[in-house]
Amino acid sequence: MSLPARVTTLVIAFLAVVAGGIFFALHYIGTQPPVEDYTSFASNGQVNVTLMTAAQTTVTDKPDWVTYFIKNPSTGQFVHTTYFKVPANTQVNVTILGYDGCTPLRNPVWGQVTGTFIPGTSEKNVENVAFVNISAPHNKTTSLPAKPISTFDSWGTCSVQHTFAIPGLGLNVPVASITDYNDNSNNLCGTSPCTAANADATAPHTVVTFSFRTPKTGGIFRWQCFVPCGLGYVDGNGGPMGTPGYMMGQMEVQA
Amino acid sequence: MAAEASSPAAPAAGSIGGRRDGLWLLVIWIVLSIIGCLLVALVWGPHMPPGAQSSSAASQQTDITVLAVIATPVIIGVLLYFGWAIAFWRQKPGDETDAAPIHGNTKIQATWITATAAIVLALAVYGTYELIAPAGAGAGEGPQPIWKPAGTVAQTSFNCQSPTAAPTWQPGTSNILQVQVIGQQWAWTYRYPQFGCMETTQLMLPVGEPVQFNVTSLDVIHSFWAYQLGVKADANPGVNNVAYTTPEHVGQFVVRCSELCGIWHGAMYNYANVVSDSDFVNWAKSQQVQLASVTKLLPPYALTYDPTVVNNMGKVNQQLGLTGAGGGYYNPADPEQP
Repeated sequence: MSLPARVTTLVIAFLAVVAGGIFFALHYIGTQPPVEDYTSFASNGQVNVTLMTAAQTTVTDKPDWVTYFIKNPSTGQFVHTTYFKVPANTQVNVTILGYDGCTPLRNPVWGQVTGTFIPGTSEKNVENVAFVNISAPHNKTTSLPAKPISTFDSWGTCSVQHTFAIPGLGLNVPVASITDYNDNSNNLCGTSPCTAANADATAPHTVVTFSFRTPKTGGIFRWQCFVPCGLGYVDGNGGPMGTPGYMMGQMEVQA
Repeated sequence: MAAEASSPAAPAAGSIGGRRDGLWLLVIWIVLSIIGCLLVALVWGPHMPPGAQSSSAASQQTDITVLAVIATPVIIGVLLYFGWAIAFWRQKPGDETDAAPIHGNTKIQATWITATAAIVLALAVYGTYELIAPAGAGAGEGPQPIWKPAGTVAQTSFNCQSPTAAPTWQPGTSNILQVQVIGQQWAWTYRYPQFGCMETTQLMLPVGEPVQFNVTSLDVIHSFWAYQLGVKADANPGVNNVAYTTPEHVGQFVVRCSELCGIWHGAMYNYANVVSDSDFVNWAKSQQVQLASVTKLLPPYALTYDPTVVNNMGKVNQQLGLTGAGGGYYNPADPEQP
C-alpha cells in the first residue's frame, strides 16, 4: 500500500473512532429530557408549575420505575421530564399531584417543609408550609380541604411518597401520600401519567401546593427526591434516583 | 589533516564544564535560592492553601510552605543547570565530536545520597510531628481517634428526649463541641447532640472553640471536605470517622463531597459559617426551637445509623401488606449482591 493510501486509511480510521465516541457521548450520556418552558406563562410576577408523581413509567422502557411528570404549559398534557424553566425573581406556585404510594424517608429530617412561603406574605417571612389536599380518595366521594403542614412524620404514619427538594435554594417539600393503606397497596393508578385520558385521574392521590421565589439572577438548580425510591437497586439509590427525567432534574432560572 | 583543522579545538580545562562553570553555578544558585526561599516563605506562604481559618488549616498551610521552601532550591538548581547547559554548553556548529566519557564521582554521589536522605528523613520526622501536634491535622482518625485536642473532654451521653432542652455545651469549657456530619445522596446534614440532638442542613461553628466532627453516611461512601478549615474525613455508612479542628477566624467556608458518590456528586456542597460564640449559641438555640417538630421524629442519636433499618418500618410495612423486607427499609437480598 502506498504512503498516501496508508495515511488516508489512518485518518479515516481515526475520524471513525472520534465520530463513534461523539455519538456515544451525545446519544447515551448527553441525552437530557425535554425542558418545559414556563417563562412566557408568568404574569404579575407569578408562574404556576404543575408536576405529577406516578408509581410507574409506562410511557418508557422502564415501566417499573417511579417518576415525575411535568405539565406542558401550552398543551396541558403531562410530559415525561423533570426539566423545567422559570423566570428569575418570580413567585413559583407549584402543584404536585401525588399518585404514588407511600415510602418512608430514610432520614426523617427531610420531612420538614423548608424554603416556602405563603402567597401574600413577604418572602422574608418564610412560612415553611405546604398545603396538602388528599384528593379523590378511592371509593370516597368527598375530598378533604387543603391542610397546611410543616412537618411530615413518614415513619409513624404512611404520609410521604417522595420529596421535591432544591438544595441550592434551601427548598424541601415532602410529597404527601394517601394515608389509606388499602389505597396504597391496591388502588394506585395503573398507567402513567395518571390522567382522565386513561381513566386514572380519579385514582387515590394527593394534591400538594406550595410557593417559593426564584433568585434574582439566573442559573441552573438541580432538584431531587430524598426518598431513596429506586426499588431493586442498592439501598434504593440507583435507577430512577440517578437518572434525569425520573426522580431528579433541573430547574433553569432565566434572568 | 583537513579534518583535524576543521574540528574545533578541545576546550581548555576549567573553561567549559570545568571548575569555573561550577563556581558560577554554585554562586548563582545560592543567591537565587536565598531570594527564592524568602519570596516563597514571606510573600507566597501566607497565601498558600488552604488558608488559616482554623488550627488545622493553618498547620497545613505551614507544612505546605515548608515543603515549598525546601523544594525551591532544588527547582532553581535544576532549572539553572538546564539553562546554563543550553546557553553555554550547547553544541557548536560543525562540532561532531563526542563529549568526554563520564566516570562515576564518589564525592558527588555520596553528597547527593546523603543530602536527599537527610531531607527525606527530616521531612518524615517533621510530618509525623505535624500529624500528631494539631490533633490529627484535620483528617479523619476513624472511630477511636488517637490524637485529640489537648484539654478537651468529649461528652458521651446526650439529652435527646426534649428537643428544646437547655444546651449541654457552653463556650469556654473543656467540653468539646460535637457535630455529627451525615452524608446522604446528595446533601450534608449536621446533627448537634449537645443542642437537643437537632439536625439541620446548616453548618455553623463558633470561633476559637475546638470542634469534634463525627462523620458518617446513610448510604454510599461520601467524604466531608471543609476546605478552608483543613478538615477532610471520609463518610462511610456504618462507621464513625472522627476529625478535629478549632476555627480561628470568623467567616464563610465551603463543604464539599470529595468522594464520587453518584450523579449529583458535583452538586453536593454547601456553604457554612464560623461565627462568634454568642452568635453561635443564639443560632443553635433558635434552631432547636425551629426544628423541634422534626427533631422529635429523628432516630435516637447514635454515632452511626443502619441505612437498611428504620424504626417503625415494620409497622408501616405490615400495614401496607409488605413483609419481604423483614422490617427493614429494603429487603437485604434486593438486589442480589454479587
